[in-house]
Amino acid sequence: MAELSDKAREEFFSEAQEIIETLSRNLLSLDSAIKAGISDPSLINEAFRAVHTLKGLAGLFGAARLGALSHRLEDVLDDLRLGRVELGQDVLDVLFGAVEAYTRILQAEKADSDEELDVEQLFVELERIGAGATEHQSPVADYELDPGLLAVLTEYEEHRLRANIALQMQLYRLRVQFDLSTIDKVLEEMKERAKRHGEIITYLPTGEATSADTIELDLLMASRDDLATLIGSLGADHVVIEEIPRRARRSHPATMPPRRPTALGRADSVGMQPDLERGGLEQAASLRSLTQTVRVDIRKLDHLMNIVGELAIVRSAFGRVAEKLRGEGQRKLAAELQRLHRNFDRRLGEMQDGILEVRMVPLGQVFDRLARVVRQISREVGKEIRLVITGAETEIDKLIVEELSDPLMHMIRNAIDHGIEAGQGRVEVGKPLAGTIALNAFQKGNHVMIEVEDDGRGIDLARLTEKAITLGKLTRSEAQEMSRDEVLALIFLPGLSTRESADDVSGRGVGMDIVKTNISKLGGVIDVHSESGIGTKMTITLPITLAIVSALLIQAGQHTLAIPLSSVSEAIAFEETAVRLVDGREVITLRGQTLPLCRLDRLMALETAPYSASRRRFVVVAALGQRRLGLVVDFLYGQEDIVIKPLGKSLSAVRGFAGATELGDQRVGLVLDAAGLIEEVLAGIEAPRTLERASG
Amino acid sequence: MANLTQSTASRLARRVGDRGPVREFLMFALAGELYGVELTRIKEILSPPPITMVPRAPRNVVGVCSVRGLLVTVLDLRRTLKLEERALTRRGRILLGAAESGEVIGLLVDEVKHVVRLAANEIEPAASALGGDVSEFVLGIGRPAGEFLILLDLPSVVSG
Repeated sequence: MAELSDKAREEFFSEAQEIIETLSRNLLSLDSAIKAGISDPSLINEAFRAVHTLKGLAGLFGAARLGALSHRLEDVLDDLRLGRVELGQDVLDVLFGAVEAYTRILQAEKADSDEELDVEQLFVELERIGAGATEHQSPVADYELDPGLLAVLTEYEEHRLRANIALQMQLYRLRVQFDLSTIDKVLEEMKERAKRHGEIITYLPTGEATSADTIELDLLMASRDDLATLIGSLGADHVVIEEIPRRARRSHPATMPPRRPTALGRADSVGMQPDLERGGLEQAASLRSLTQTVRVDIRKLDHLMNIVGELAIVRSAFGRVAEKLRGEGQRKLAAELQRLHRNFDRRLGEMQDGILEVRMVPLGQVFDRLARVVRQISREVGKEIRLVITGAETEIDKLIVEELSDPLMHMIRNAIDHGIEAGQGRVEVGKPLAGTIALNAFQKGNHVMIEVEDDGRGIDLARLTEKAITLGKLTRSEAQEMSRDEVLALIFLPGLSTRESADDVSGRGVGMDIVKTNISKLGGVIDVHSESGIGTKMTITLPITLAIVSALLIQAGQHTLAIPLSSVSEAIAFEETAVRLVDGREVITLRGQTLPLCRLDRLMALETAPYSASRRRFVVVAALGQRRLGLVVDFLYGQEDIVIKPLGKSLSAVRGFAGATELGDQRVGLVLDAAGLIEEVLAGIEAPRTLERASG
Repeated sequence: MANLTQSTASRLARRVGDRGPVREFLMFALAGELYGVELTRIKEILSPPPITMVPRAPRNVVGVCSVRGLLVTVLDLRRTLKLEERALTRRGRILLGAAESGEVIGLLVDEVKHVVRLAANEIEPAASALGGDVSEFVLGIGRPAGEFLILLDLPSVVSG
């Protein structure tokens, strides 16, 4: 790729990525449209425009491979939208292949690698589709159309005209006066209104304007409705609607109008960018709307969030000064400062919320990618899959979305491969032929829940245990003592896969253990439920954002520590006398259930506060998914919103901390990694020793 | 090139045409010895802010502190160099430098002195001064104006 500044490169990649995602969404919509038996020309058009824009972008940035693919893809899409090629599943397969190829090319460009990418096969297939293109005969001559108009039809408009005639639509001419200053807007509105009745195929200036400020256009429209309806809906003072009558049938087709790249009357609106010609006015419109948004590097938002954190420290200093003034008897000044302090506090809160809001993106971003994967895999393995997505609008931190794609993809692959039975197998047990995978997202308090659910055969517990025993992860006697949930949790062990052979789809050595690791890196947990013969449901619980979290501030030994509230279920008073020793481990009973204890000061070898039996202490109950752990602490300070900063690389080997945060007074407090602590302390309790080794 | 901080002795020791390039070192005191690190390696000198101890951290880590919002790991240079440990006085300072990984690290020292300029012939390479078996942290021995300065390689000190 040509030499570019880093910033321009970043822009290029994110823009290209966005376009490819748009293209992928379009293809998916086309896929469902075809399945429903609908043909929607606007979808093919959008796909065409996406590829066209990508081609321009590739040219601009000297990305030759991207350009070459776009060029060929554009030809095929052009054939499709002009009706020269029939759109079917096989063609869609090739188009989806092109999306994959785009992704690979983009990755290679990003890595600055000149590695040969095997896209030849794809090119051959694109060629093959193009070769099947046919030229249609024109029934257009049946209508008394103005030859001047016909001469300037673009190939696409001509195709739409033919298609509408084929659908037995009636043609109308609308002669409309436009004010030059508002023509763009009014024309768009007319097109929009016309959609209810049919479509506006083209327009051409008549050259008979009544004043210098107006322009008169002839609009060619196809509609299923009669003239009276149209006049009722579109008619106005400046609009004259006429029906275009059919000619008496003639035996020979009229000569095809020559292929003209641009309709004359519109040259002014697209003339500046001749390469956009095929996209026409609509594209110019979409370019305008894009200027409403800006692309921002997430690191810049992190930086802003840091500044908010520092301002919060300034705010506390304000508060202290106000206190001091009051102490010195300066009541009036103190009250004034206190008021400023409160005002500052409120605004700062708004700013923090604002920045957080900017970081939020809908989960739909990643769900779209998954829909593509589902389609691809289901065709590869020959299982019919219905993907049902709910809650795609649920918002979550951009950083989390990026990291979710791989784990979710893996879960879905597992569901298709291991979960959903092959077609005949489903029919035999009375299930519908098409398997269903549901992808549900919703917000629950400060968390986002994502469920991946299938209606397949469920996890075979016996086989799972057998496999774990074969792999030496546990002994047969240990297996017998395990509860159902414990057995289900075995799927998170490395190397476990209930399929015997590694195949194309899953079982390639990376499995649910990687999924679980990735999810916990995001501060989330994953739970499994499975019913034999009914299906499997995996639930991921994630924090909404990584940038700012509510935390409980506690004192342990001489340390002030923070525990993210998302992993705290409650805090209770600690009574030394209630502690029981089970197998050398301290536990208490909380509402009839055993709660393992962990004395933070001992675990962390903190300098302990001087011991006194009368001093009140507390138990903070940390809970993640099904597992709970009581942390014995010396004092509870209360709740605070904190910005967690990771510990430096030199401390990466230190376990038990998620990072650190500023506490005000320039002091830094460590943030406990509740998931890590629970894992560490409970590993020896809930699972046999061999499991501890396997998961450690 | 006139430099008033350099004494007559060092000027005498200088032989014309044999000086080599001049490098600037920051001189600081630690456990009764004088040390130097190349000035360009130091990002900032700080009065120590409150430092939070990190349980389970390696022994030479004092803890973490915040420098204008940036979380910095602070190392005790006495512990890294296996010197006798002593509490900081009010002269104690933190030198900020970058580790090989790019992470910003703070180094706790007893007292910061001043900047010295050393020509190549005023630096004894570690191997010739101390023999082959010397710590990777030591660049060499600097001898400005009759003083004895242990020159440290900051990136390897903060990375090790």
